[in-house]
Amino acid sequence: MTVIKVPRPPKSAYDPTRPISALLKMQVEHLYEAEARLPSRYWTEIYPNAIKTEGEAAEYIRAVTEAIHNAHADAAQRRAKPAKKRKGVTEIAAVADERAERKRKNRSRASAKKKKR
Amino acid sequence: MAPGLDALKHIVVLMMENRSFDHMLGDVPGIGGIDDPAAAAYFNPDTTGAQVKAQALAEFQSQLQPDPDHHFPAVDLQIFGGNTAADRQPSMQGFVKSYYNQQRNVGHSQKILYYFPKEKLPVLTTLATEFAVLNRWFASIPGPTICNRAFAHYGTSFGRVDMNLLYINEPFKSIYDRLVGATPKHTSKLYYYDTASSTMEITNLLQHQPEVFGTFDQFLKDCETGNLPDYSFVEPNYNDHQTDVGEEAANDQHPDHHVQAGEMFIASVYNAIKGNDDLWKSTALLIVYDEHGGIFDHVKPPACVPDQFTASANATGTGMAFAFDRLGVRVPAILVSPWIPKGKVVDRVFDHASIPGTVTKFFLGDYSPRSPREINADVFIEPNGPAVDATRNLLSLDVMRTDCPDFE
Repeated sequence: MTVIKVPRPPKSAYDPTRPISALLKMQVEHLYEAEARLPSRYWTEIYPNAIKTEGEAAEYIRAVTEAIHNAHADAAQRRAKPAKKRKGVTEIAAVADERAERKRKNRSRASAKKKKR
Repeated sequence: MAPGLDALKHIVVLMMENRSFDHMLGDVPGIGGIDDPAAAAYFNPDTTGAQVKAQALAEFQSQLQPDPDHHFPAVDLQIFGGNTAADRQPSMQGFVKSYYNQQRNVGHSQKILYYFPKEKLPVLTTLATEFAVLNRWFASIPGPTICNRAFAHYGTSFGRVDMNLLYINEPFKSIYDRLVGATPKHTSKLYYYDTASSTMEITNLLQHQPEVFGTFDQFLKDCETGNLPDYSFVEPNYNDHQTDVGEEAANDQHPDHHVQAGEMFIASVYNAIKGNDDLWKSTALLIVYDEHGGIFDHVKPPACVPDQFTASANATGTGMAFAFDRLGVRVPAILVSPWIPKGKVVDRVFDHASIPGTVTKFFLGDYSPRSPREINADVFIEPNGPAVDATRNLLSLDVMRTDCPDFE
């Protein structure tokens, strides 16, 4: 079996200050459109028009990508929570009756206490 | 009998950025590259009228600055050499002229013809000679990245020839949608490198179906644990950025990113699949580039069946409408599997619409609706069944190879 050595690029190949290409610029613009559709609590505080370098673009791309995933994850979590059971009309009426009964009993207990004193 | 197709359970597509076939593989003999550098096809006129020869002088970085123009009007000039006649045919004579337009420097404009000596790209050239090189794979559109990548996801760009795609509620589903929505359900993932690189498929899929996405780390883990989906699309790192664990250099090979970083990335995808024996025998890996990035190739792009969309003269920027009836410039494409005989050269015509076309036919069979371009695109993996055409089946070995290379 042949083993092929793969040369590594030099350290100098890495340059996050490199100006962004048309492709990265468009990726940032697409993400800005996506960000604008998110609820405001997921918005980043980065101004996309000021992004000039790859490192800056990466920071914004990460923030919005994570925000999109978080927004969907939060929505899924809310969907998964069992909704609070709503009371029907008859149940509401029954609760109202119970309350009235409790009030009446409390009142008579209080007046009984007063009399004792 | 097609044991390779019987064994096939996973298709993986790795799409790199912006390099032409001749630029990357032109120096490999016998595969349709630059076999005879003295031939007229490998010359382009510069703006002084001198004929300039393609030469094996390409460098890994800093040579193609500014980024060669590859928007629709520039690619039109590259392919047709400035001919705007109604009956014009591709000449591939406008690459130097086009690059000259960006810096007005005659010497610099000639670098657009440079290609890599094969020794400089050990990963790509080894894979091309060890497995199947598809030497007539063309970009889907003579234009830039986003509309070309759309063809890989949807089989069409919905009439767009630019970078500004907003294809929501369009008539054709993505390949991921088709697979995960099928009965029985199939699995599919689009692996971007990490969140700081993210995906180029933002407008639609990331906003609406983030669950189909994963990171490259997850891809590696899924390979190791045998949990790779039926279909995977892998995206490289598109930018240089800092992470918690250190520096991440872009490995997409987009000029002016270092080409060796891309070589390492391609090797890591190959190694991840090959490192799991079960996965290796049941996976086909396609390595392909989204478009040529404005860089020279000598093969004339063929006409094709038109799509059902037309880009207006205003949208193309050439003064002429485009019916999606011609392919873009040729790009490198290699199909890897231990069931492919060593040194296979395939000269059938493919484009990125072949990706959803192949995946759909292999996993789902007949599926509708699909774009006219996708329906007519050739497949690189035959659908498995009782009547497999042996002359077209690239995974044609009866016994799996055990002599495939390793990268370290």
